[in-house]
Amino acid sequence: MNFDPSMASAGEIAAAVREQRITARAVTEATLERIAATHASLNAFTTVTAQRARLEAMAVDACIAAGRDPGPLAGVPHAVKNLFDLAGIVTVAGSKINRAHPPAKEDATAVERLRRAGAICVGALNMGEYAYDFVTDNAHDGPTRNPRDLARSAGGSSGGCGAAVAAGLVPIALGTDTNGSIRVPSSFCGIWGLKPTYGRLSRGGTFPFVASLDHIGPFARTVADLAAAYDAMQGPDPRDPACTLRPVEPASARLNEGLGELRVAQLGGYFEKNCPPQAHSAVAAVASVLRAGFTRHVELPQVAEARAAAFIITAIEAGHLHLDRLRTQAADFDPGIRDRFLAGALMPGAWYVQAQKFRSWYRAQVAEIFRHVDILLAPATPVPATLLGQETMTIEGVEMPVRPNLGLYTQPISFIGLPVVAAPVHPAGPQPIGVQLIAAPWNETALLRAARILEASGVCSAPVARLAA
Amino acid sequence: MVRTLLETEGMPKINAPHIVGELAALHDAYERALAANDVPTLKSFFWDSPHVVRYGASEHLYGTDAVSRYREGHTPVFTHRQIVRREILTLGPDLASIMCELSQTVTGQQRHSRQSQTWCRFPEAGWKIVSAHVSQTTPPADTSLGWETYVSEAAAALGLPLHPGHRPGVIQNLQRAANLAGPLLALNLPLDADLAPIFTP
Repeated sequence: MNFDPSMASAGEIAAAVREQRITARAVTEATLERIAATHASLNAFTTVTAQRARLEAMAVDACIAAGRDPGPLAGVPHAVKNLFDLAGIVTVAGSKINRAHPPAKEDATAVERLRRAGAICVGALNMGEYAYDFVTDNAHDGPTRNPRDLARSAGGSSGGCGAAVAAGLVPIALGTDTNGSIRVPSSFCGIWGLKPTYGRLSRGGTFPFVASLDHIGPFARTVADLAAAYDAMQGPDPRDPACTLRPVEPASARLNEGLGELRVAQLGGYFEKNCPPQAHSAVAAVASVLRAGFTRHVELPQVAEARAAAFIITAIEAGHLHLDRLRTQAADFDPGIRDRFLAGALMPGAWYVQAQKFRSWYRAQVAEIFRHVDILLAPATPVPATLLGQETMTIEGVEMPVRPNLGLYTQPISFIGLPVVAAPVHPAGPQPIGVQLIAAPWNETALLRAARILEASGVCSAPVARLAA
Repeated sequence: MVRTLLETEGMPKINAPHIVGELAALHDAYERALAANDVPTLKSFFWDSPHVVRYGASEHLYGTDAVSRYREGHTPVFTHRQIVRREILTLGPDLASIMCELSQTVTGQQRHSRQSQTWCRFPEAGWKIVSAHVSQTTPPADTSLGWETYVSEAAAALGLPLHPGHRPGVIQNLQRAANLAGPLLALNLPLDADLAPIFTP
């Protein structure tokens, strides 16, 4: 048997399992072994659900033996940020405090939908505490290390997702993104990430952070895998009041339609001014491939205010969500994050109302821009992966703290729920960096089509990281 | 560096405690006179000389006569005046500077003010201000004073006990958010920009 699941895409694994070239059980065992062998260096997983994975794999194999279809993700291992409910496991959400909670009674909706598609859940992944983070330097579980350079951060808050996928531990991981928590780890780890339209995928059974801004989405090493995971999770869900009732729009079958009439533009202004060289060149490289759609520059209005409004809505909603815990257990929060929650709990209401009103206005302005363009390009992060423990970074001569500023380019986009694919660009240098492909609400398919072109061109790729022994 | 230089032999001693104490008492008295608008006392703190200089927030006064005319014709408009930080530096027995940051309300508006004074001890007249400068900025963008009080009172109103060790980080985060929020709050949004209770992109 010559099949190495760690180097295979989800599509390749599912095909091999369905064609009975390998069993789901064998894929699972190989996956569990690789997770164990790399844990000491990466610290990506906080829980490995070995028994559950074996049972799910046996069910897939039994299904195939009986001549039935186990689904498009047959035997594909995946793992989830540890704020997704997994039945029988405590949903810690990166915290110490939640460890006192009872185990989840049932799976999160997204996990259940992946299981129905034949996927195998192998565990829960490390994250920044309560998702208020861009570096996954978790005080309770330790930092997750970037598989492309163990001295560096995997990004956050879905850092375990980025590391697990980049290291070939799983081909698909589920994360969440409120201000950039899928796009930042995608950029730092050099893999694909999809933050769909706000409301597209159900957040049912996830531990919340900022109800107005929380999204879930997949990570993968190929565009087809990203689309397959996304398709498997679509559909309305009464467990999430924000989840859309729109009909599902599967993207997988449309990936190879090409750019067609899609109009592509580069975001200028805020996104270009002071943009560090590597982020700038990555956007330029992506733009050059998508030139067929005639690349030009457009500017969004009041972007700095959009970022400020996202910052304020985040702080205030999160501060309120955790108010009782802050009253009684402030000392148990991650010290790197606690003061932001406390500050959010104390911010004036007028700030919040202005931020939410501004959101309506800004959404209308951006909708106008999307009448003339389909895909916007912008950097995902200002810099490639920062070092673990790095406090400050210098962007065009200005020194600024790392943690609050990694979301400079992601926050003004997720603020109005636009769908984004984070596309990994691996330059000649040592560190990859991501580019955001941004579309109008509900137009994920356009993004995935463009992503497929970038992947085919070779400008974007997500190879499995070679881990030092 | 400066300290080392000044403390070498033959150099004036800096911040001798009894000299600092003298200046602190004088400055306290000056502030009391200012609050009471006690013009004769205020005038007496300044060196009687054509060389004395006082720059106000908007006035430039050269010589005793100009300073005195200003005092006599001016009614202070500040309230809630409070010293945020006072730095007294004495250089030997006869020379000192006093630098202050102040919070005050001027004509109903919150102001963050700076006061600089150079003091000299003269053989007959004693300690006098030989030059002074005050300036103001609009709300305390560069101080956490406003947040100190706000944090205490908002936390109390919320029933949120704050560990003293957590306060500096909380204030720093509020300050950072306030700096970001400034331009957002200054925007004049159209009246129909309502917030959506359930947000649909």
